[in-house]
Parts: sequence; structure tokens; C-alpha cells
Amino acid sequence: MKASYVIKRILLTILIFFIVVTLCFFIPRIGVTDPAERFYPARSAGMSDAEYEYVKEQIRIEYGLNGSTFQQYLNYMGDLFKGDLGNSYQTGKPAVIDEIAECLPWTLVLSVSNLLISLIIGILIGTMAAWKRGRWQDRALLNASTITTALPAFFIALILSFYLGFEWEIFPAYTDQNMVSGFDWSWGAISTVLYNAALPIFAMAIGGIVSYGQSTRNSVIAVSGDDFILTAKAKGLSNRKVIYGHTLRNAMLPIVTQFGMNVSGLIGGSVVIEQIFNWNGMGTLFLTANSNNDYPLMMGIMIFMSAFALVANLLTDFVYSLLDPRVTLGERR
Amino acid sequence: MKQLLKKITLAALSCVLAFSATFAAGCSTSIAERRNDTSSTLYVGYVSSAFPTTFFPWSSRDGIAPTIASFIYNTLFSMDTETDEYTPSLAKDWCYTDLDGNEMRTPEGKIDYEEVENYYSGDDTDYMVVKVTLHDNATWSDGKKVTAEDVYYTFDIATDNTRSGHAGALAWTADLLHSSKEGQFAQQGIFTRNHDDWGRYPYAEDGSDTVVYLHVKKALGAVAMLFTTILILPEHIWAPLTENGKLVQDNATGEVLYQYEHPVGCGAWTLEENSRQMIVLKNRGTDYHLKAEDGGALYKVDKLKFMLYLEQNTAIYALLKGHIDILDASMSANYLRLFEQEEGIYVSNVTGTASQTLVLNVNPQEQYKTPMRDLFANPDFRKAIALAINQPDIIKSVLNGAGNTASAGLMLPRTDNDPLYNPQSDIFADALWEGNGASGYENRVAEANRILDGLYPEKDGDGYRLANGSRIFFEILANPGELELVSYLQQQFQKIGVEVEYKAEGSMAEDTYLFAGNFDMTFQATIFSAANVDTMYDSHFISTSRSSNYGRLADEALTAKIEEMESALNENVKYDLIREIQTMIAELYYKIPVYSSNVISVARNDRFTNYTASAGETVFNEDTLKQLEKVV
Repeated sequence: MKASYVIKRILLTILIFFIVVTLCFFIPRIGVTDPAERFYPARSAGMSDAEYEYVKEQIRIEYGLNGSTFQQYLNYMGDLFKGDLGNSYQTGKPAVIDEIAECLPWTLVLSVSNLLISLIIGILIGTMAAWKRGRWQDRALLNASTITTALPAFFIALILSFYLGFEWEIFPAYTDQNMVSGFDWSWGAISTVLYNAALPIFAMAIGGIVSYGQSTRNSVIAVSGDDFILTAKAKGLSNRKVIYGHTLRNAMLPIVTQFGMNVSGLIGGSVVIEQIFNWNGMGTLFLTANSNNDYPLMMGIMIFMSAFALVANLLTDFVYSLLDPRVTLGERR
Repeated sequence: MKQLLKKITLAALSCVLAFSATFAAGCSTSIAERRNDTSSTLYVGYVSSAFPTTFFPWSSRDGIAPTIASFIYNTLFSMDTETDEYTPSLAKDWCYTDLDGNEMRTPEGKIDYEEVENYYSGDDTDYMVVKVTLHDNATWSDGKKVTAEDVYYTFDIATDNTRSGHAGALAWTADLLHSSKEGQFAQQGIFTRNHDDWGRYPYAEDGSDTVVYLHVKKALGAVAMLFTTILILPEHIWAPLTENGKLVQDNATGEVLYQYEHPVGCGAWTLEENSRQMIVLKNRGTDYHLKAEDGGALYKVDKLKFMLYLEQNTAIYALLKGHIDILDASMSANYLRLFEQEEGIYVSNVTGTASQTLVLNVNPQEQYKTPMRDLFANPDFRKAIALAINQPDIIKSVLNGAGNTASAGLMLPRTDNDPLYNPQSDIFADALWEGNGASGYENRVAEANRILDGLYPEKDGDGYRLANGSRIFFEILANPGELELVSYLQQQFQKIGVEVEYKAEGSMAEDTYLFAGNFDMTFQATIFSAANVDTMYDSHFISTSRSSNYGRLADEALTAKIEEMESALNENVKYDLIREIQTMIAELYYKIPVYSSNVISVARNDRFTNYTASAGETVFNEDTLKQLEKVV
């Protein structure tokens, strides 16, 4: 991997980030003649045009929506370069970065757990299915794949919430409202979080497990016919060594790609699940911002998600070449 | 391979055991805490995206924030919508006075509107004097006494955006003579014992620390906004923090943030705990100045625990499963059958106070004019559209019968002899149209077709009318919840040869379509009462800049009549004018009523009883809270 390639990729990522920020700024404003419109109070019967215009102008100033859209954009970019994502329109006008910092850990509890569980179990199941190709383990994975493709995660979540939560009361149907305010890093608090996270993680992970399992199975099967596997077997290596030392390692590339894509969606990938389970994460925060037309908060979340996704993609690219020496980034063959 | 499988199985079992232990520990904190709670706490479910974590009354405008603010703080009065009387809140009494401070009352102690009219109808004064007397024993939740100075401070701040940080307050106080701009005092129009002009206004001298005088530009309407909208703030808390500064601060820190998070109010409740998911309010009990008839606490419930639900169905199941006592929301009639089969559930199904209307875009901005929208300029065409709407059928089909017909005058009768309601304005009532062996609706459709045959007699092959060679076709801008209503209107308009189709309005319809008048037809709910007509008639029928006048009606006669009503000082004259206005609204065929839906709400009655709701209310209301009793 050449240094020039790394620099080029980083610069390209910065350019994409700049474009994303610009789009994030202008898209919500398309078709909106005056974004401050919804904040204007009803005009009192006794108010003259001049008085009402004064009230409106004060509100535009209050929300930073005065001046042309382009001027607002320049102001926003200027603040962004200083690391300031602005202030939310919520009561007390908290800093957007503080709002994100408050919700991010809760989303990561769900998404990281989901990713790790999906990855580990998926690889194990996929390897087993490949090894038992054509037998019931393989067929079960194939059928599960068909079912989870047809059933979106939110539907699975609703079913789980209804039966395991409301009807049988095995797990909380939705998040305990005391969980966040009462969290203090004690064992009790952590176990409460895990207990409350059980159904959302399960709902998200079902599809992930099957998806990773299917990818692993296909990849392992593709690799297991290669000459070097036959050679390893001929050398009399144990099955475990053949699978983990040779087959799986060489079958990992597509899985790394999938993992990288999933990492990039870590923050924004659970909006609907959070909604169903009352989970106080980034998805909920984004919906709040959207329903309140809270532009600074919406922008902040979208920029944060985009930045995270871009960095994740960049790192995936680099890890790719480290995993497989045959992959040469930026070098001529 | 067998060994590998064994190891995998062992690892999986270990994981299951570890998770089981964790879940067992987690189970000890059940989400259904209400079931084990023996205290007098009312668990209230609320559907929203998040709860605010800081509270400041003037900037608490979205979601649950205004509700919480109204529990923690008080306005001067509240309005009884059934009697149009002001009921005491922070203040116990009010009246108009002359410029010398003499009260204008009848011998029975009521406002003497005739005297008010005679005294103030001349051109020599540009304001009226309102005297407000506060309760003597009202205190802030930190124990300090509420005085007229607090009211003065509140209004003083409210009239100055630079200091209040909330221009909305300026609109509420627009009818107050008192004003200041950009931190500079402009005109004095509020007087207390310590803030007066001793030379010019002698009446201020006899004021105590619970009397305040307001100078208002207009009667009734202005008073309603000042009395029932502005929550009074504690001067002793905010004045030291806001000297030369803004009351509402961005990214507040330190003492200001502390005050946002621990508000000191004069209402019946104090904020005990709050997070994004839960808000707990504690009853101030007998510390609150208003008491029950027996002299005890006004509210029997010790605590209100508001629980956040992001999704309404989750909240409904939480109620059914006993996780909450009550749901602070009105629900669709579709849920009625679900609740009817459940035990321990109280269902409130009361008459609504809103009229759902179909708004025709009669006057779009130039860039949004279309040949079809031009048709709405003709009142006869609008009348034909209005005649084709069959309210009883819509109520039966869309609302499952849980609703009533709405008058074309858009005022709903609150009682049998409501002095505000004009029955003559109900020009589409079936009873008026029945005859010749046909139902009212059949006769209305016949009349609509007769009108349209005169205007647009040509029809295409599908039976739709043609205007300048094009099929008469309109889109109804609506939300997905109104799809069924649109489909019934489609059928009804088919009878007069007009085609309509649903158009999704999206999440910011007001900004993108409505204020600019970029739509054909849309739905809009209206609520008019004596308390709000001064503001709302203007907003719905006159103002075209940014208002609820989505179709941008500009009718000179109606505007003149509304302005006459707004400036009427005599209540009886004002009511007469409101009745006339209803007929004018009906005959403009601009906002056409489609129904008035009932307000359906639910609560569990296995822990608390005596739920009640009057017209337009959900079961979570002040009267319910005052009456609730715990089931032993």
C-alpha cells in the first residue's frame, strides 16, 4: 500500500464529507421558503404588519435563520470547522454535540452487541453449514436465510415485543424508562441494561447471524475446493487446522467487506428498532430532531453518521490489504 | 470435527449461562413497576419522541413541555370553555376600571360591559385599564410569596424579545400597551405599587402587593391572551440571573441551567425527577394556594409519573397490561372495539370541540395558480363542492359513528342554548334539505349537479365534468391517517362529476404547501370559542402572510365584520356579531365541514376511579386529577 494512495483516499474522504455536509444542509431546506415559519406565533389581532414582521425577524435571529440560505450555510461551515455543531432548538438550547454524546453510547450498546453476536455466531454457523454441505445444518441455514430476507427486522421486533414482552413477559417489551436516569455503572444497572437490550439485540441479530452465516458458508465452500486446501488435507492436517488455519482465513475477505459495511452503519442502523423498543439512542434522537424541525440537531446527527461511515469505509479498505497480501492498493502490477 | 463441535457447544452453553445470570439480575427491576407500586402515584403514558430535560415556560412549546409547564407554573386565570368565564388560577379576581381606578361592575359584581363600552368608546383614550387581584396566599414552590411584582416582571420581560429570548411572548402581549424594545423601555402600561407613575395614575397608590393594573388596547380578546396564555415567572429567581442578559440562554450552564432543570413555579406541582424517558411531578398539597372544597389539597394524587412511549401501539399495550394508569392522548375510533373487550379499562368517548374542514385553495399565490385552482374563485362552484359532502355517511364510515356533524358556520354548540352558536349557519343540515320524497343528501347532490350543469355541463366518457376541455380534478393534500376520508370524499364527489385524489403532505406541510397556498384542497381542524375568536378568526380568514388561512381567503365583507367584532367592547354586541360571522363563513364555502370527531381516551380503573372528561377533553385533565380516588 503506497503512502500516496493513503493520502489520496483520505483527501477523497474529506471531499465526500464536504459534499455530504453541503447536501445535509440544503436538502432539508428544499421547498421550504422560510425554515423559521413554523416557529412564528399566531398573529395577534392587534398586531400591525410592522410589529408582526419585527416578531418574525426576532424569531429568525433567535434560531439563526436570518439572512440568505447561502449566508446561513457559510456561517454553519465556519462553525463546523471550529468543531461547533451548533445548538439544538430544544428547551435550554443544549449543544448538539452534548445531545449526541448522551445518546451515542446507548445506540452503541445495541449495534456493537448486534454486530459482534452476528459476526461470531454467523461465522460459526456458516462454517458448520459449509462443512456439512447438503445436510440438515446447511438446509436449515438456507431456509433461515430465505425467511429473514423476507421478514424485515422491524417485523421480527414487533413479534418479539408482543409475544416475549407483552404476552409472556419473559423480557421487557420496551425499555424501562428508569434505565437511563438510574444508570450508575453498578452491576445492577449494567444487568438492567442487558436485560432491556435483550429483545432489540435479538431482533437485530437474527438477520445478521443468518447473513454472516450465509456469506461464510458460500465463501468457505468457494475456498475449500482450492489446491492449497487439498494440499493441506494431503499433508494430514487435522480438520480444525484445515478449517481455521487455511479455509476460514482465506474465506474471510468477503466477510471483512460485509463487516466494514456493517460498521459504517453502526450508528444509524437501528432507528426503527429503537423506536419499537423505546430505546433512547441516536435513532430516537434523529426522529426527535426531525419531528421538531430541529435543523442543527438533524445536521449534527447526519454529519456524525456520515463521518463515522466514511472513516469506517476508509479503514475497511486499509484492513483489506493487510489481510490479503494479494490486494495491492495504489500499486501497479 | 467432533471435538470442534463439542467446544462450540460448550462455549455456547457458557454464553447462555452468563446471559441467563445477567438477565436474572436484570429481571429484578421489572418494567411494570406500577403493578408493585402501592403509593398514590398516577402513571401517565405519553407518546412522543423524547421528553425535554430542561423547562422554561416560554420556550417549552413542543410535545409534553407545555403540559408540564402548566403544572409547574400558573397563568393569571384559566378559561372555562363551557361558560366562557375566567376561573381563578394565580389571580382571584379581575375587572375593568376607569382611568381613576374605579371598578366597572354591575350591582351583582359582574363586569358591566355597557359601562365599559360607554366609557371607552370615545376617541380620547387609546387603551383600557384592567385591574387584576392575585390570591393573597399564593407562594412559589421555594416558599416565597407571589406578588404583583412577579406579574409586572413577567409582562415586562415578555414584551421584550431581547430579554425574554422568545419572540412568541411578544405576540401574546401585542394587545398590551406596555412595551420595551431591544432592552430599552418604550412605554409603561403595567402598574403595581412599586412601579407606577404617581403623578398621572392616582389609582396605583391604593394597590397592595397583590394588585396589578394592565393597560390593554382592546377588550376581551386581548384580556383572554394575557390572562390565560402567559405563565407567571418568579422575579426573585430570574432577575438576579438575567440582569442585562437574556432570560432564555443558549447552551445554558451553571445557575441558569440549574434553574431550567429545577424550576421554581407557583403551580400545584413541582418537578421531582426528569429524564428523556420519564418526568415525575410531585403534588404541592396544601402549600398550593387553591384548595379543595373541604380545605384539603386540590389534587388527591401525590405524584404524576409521565412515561415516554415512542410508538402509540406500545403505549396502548402498556396500558392494557397494567404498566400505566392512563394515556395522555386521544385515539382513533378504530381502537374502541379493542378496549371494549378489556376489563379494568375506562373508555371516555366525549363530544369533540374541533370541526374538521375541507379547505379549498381559493386564492393561491401567483406562482401557484393553476387552471383547476382558478375554478375555486367562483363561489357557486365551491357551493357545489360543499353540497356534495355527506357528513353523516363519513361519520358512520370513517369515525365508526364516534362523531357528530359540524355546522357550516364552524362553531359547535356547547349546550342546548349556547348564546355563541348560530343554528341558522348550519346551512347543509339534512333537515333543511329533506323533501319531495328524497333525503337531504339526495336533494343537496341534485342541487350541486344543477349548479355544475350550468357551469360545466360537458362530461368525459367516465362521467367526470370538463372545464376548458380538461377533466375537473383536484388533489387533496393529506396525511396517511386521512386516506380513508379521502376515499369516501372520492365517492361523494364522483356523484357531481368531480375527481379527487390523495396527495401525501409530508412532514412539513405548512412550510412547504400550506402557508404559500400551493395545494388544491386540504384538511384543517378548527376550534372557535369566545376565548379565541379575536385571534383565530383573524388567523383563519383574514391574515394571508403566515396564518391558518391556508387557502388565503380575502373577503372584504367578512374582514370588516370580524374587525368590528374584535373592537366591540360590549359582550352582548360581540356575541351578536359572532353569530352573524358564522353565517358569513358558511356562505363563503371556503372551509367546508366534514365532521366533528369525538375525543376518545382511555385509563385503567383498577387503581384509581372517578375519571371524567367533558367535551373536547381527554380523560387526563384537571377535573379528573381533582376527583381521582385510589382504589383500596
